[in-house]
Amino acid sequence: MAGVRKSQKEATRQRVLDAARDLFESRGYEETTVREIARHAEVSVGSVFTTFSSKGDILSQVMADRLDALYAELDRVAPHLRGSTPDRLRSLFAIHYAFETRRTRLFLAHIAAAYNWTLSPASRPYGRNLRLRQVVRDCLAEGVVRGDVDPACDLDVVIDALMASYAWTYRLAAWDEADAQAMSAVMDRHIGLISQGFRARPTA
Amino acid sequence: MKHVPSTIEATGETEVRVPTRRALAKQQTRAKVLAAARRLFSEAGYEGATIRDIAAEAGMSTGAVFANFTDKSDLFREIMVSDMEALTEAMAEASSRGRTVEDALLRLFMAGYAFYKTQLPLARAAFSISWLPEQGPELRTLPPVNAIHELITDQLNLGVERGELSQEVEAKLRTQMLFDCYLANYPEAIFQGWSLEALQAKSRDQIRVVLAGARRG
Repeated sequence: MAGVRKSQKEATRQRVLDAARDLFESRGYEETTVREIARHAEVSVGSVFTTFSSKGDILSQVMADRLDALYAELDRVAPHLRGSTPDRLRSLFAIHYAFETRRTRLFLAHIAAAYNWTLSPASRPYGRNLRLRQVVRDCLAEGVVRGDVDPACDLDVVIDALMASYAWTYRLAAWDEADAQAMSAVMDRHIGLISQGFRARPTA
Repeated sequence: MKHVPSTIEATGETEVRVPTRRALAKQQTRAKVLAAARRLFSEAGYEGATIRDIAAEAGMSTGAVFANFTDKSDLFREIMVSDMEALTEAMAEASSRGRTVEDALLRLFMAGYAFYKTQLPLARAAFSISWLPEQGPELRTLPPVNAIHELITDQLNLGVERGELSQEVEAKLRTQMLFDCYLANYPEAIFQGWSLEALQAKSRDQIRVVLAGARRG
């Protein structure tokens, strides 16, 4: 009994998330109401609210699920990266841009909502994307081992600089409708410049 | 869509313009609306504040608000412009006291954080809006935004003149990256309550990394 109810609840949850993802992308987050989400998911408004506390909460869950897929992709790709540390970083960030620009409006809605009042503090992954930080950290740490990253440099500082560039390069998507390639090209230059700050000095 | 603001009394071009009583009253009305809007945007965010709430807070009718401002985004932009003009001045003043390029840029950043420290909710609303496809471009092209970019570029160029940075400083790219770092620290201030000291320590490190490749010697 309880198992059936649980799986029903899970199915409802998934239907709501799928409907919300499509509506947020096609119409925009602000323009989409919970009622419309319920209608598209073919569930009642009441059952949406038994699973999610608000529209912001739905958005947050949609994004969390997408990030899971992104990081599964990264986990597959990461062991196959070759080349210098800056080149590996370029690949990592290019994968992010390629992934997010599949649903640009959804992603931008998420960033905007991260500063909004309607989201609870728990649902703000933007700016503290811990998994991306960890992937970047691993890449830099490997660089230290391979010898093209200065062991004396403070990795956190480098990661912060990279994350700042990464996040704000998305403004090109928001304002200039840039595609993944255009953003990756900008990010490549930023990585080149930041890498001047962390590359290992030739030993005398 | 935008309706024309109510007519302004015609005055001869050569006459000394003495503000009429009506013009003065209009100014006062605008100031009252702006103050009310600032309070509500700070309390409820951009989406949460309606023109009706703002009118009520200012003690006037929505009609009176619309006689002075086209819409909510017009109100918000006006607040942003006046704040950012003041901010740009503070940044120019602060960076002019810098002894080295690093020091000058750090002072510039800190002038910004100090300015917004007391009105973080408003900064938060501005960040949210800046990512919206409709209003983002408008905020981004405000003249003060360019002015801040220019201040950063000026400091990089001064660094080159003083011989701290090499000629190949790539000022445009570095300016953008420094500005990115400056903005990227706001979430820490807004959501984590970082002190100015903590922001300063982080900014100093970031400036150092971005400048590292351009150092001479």
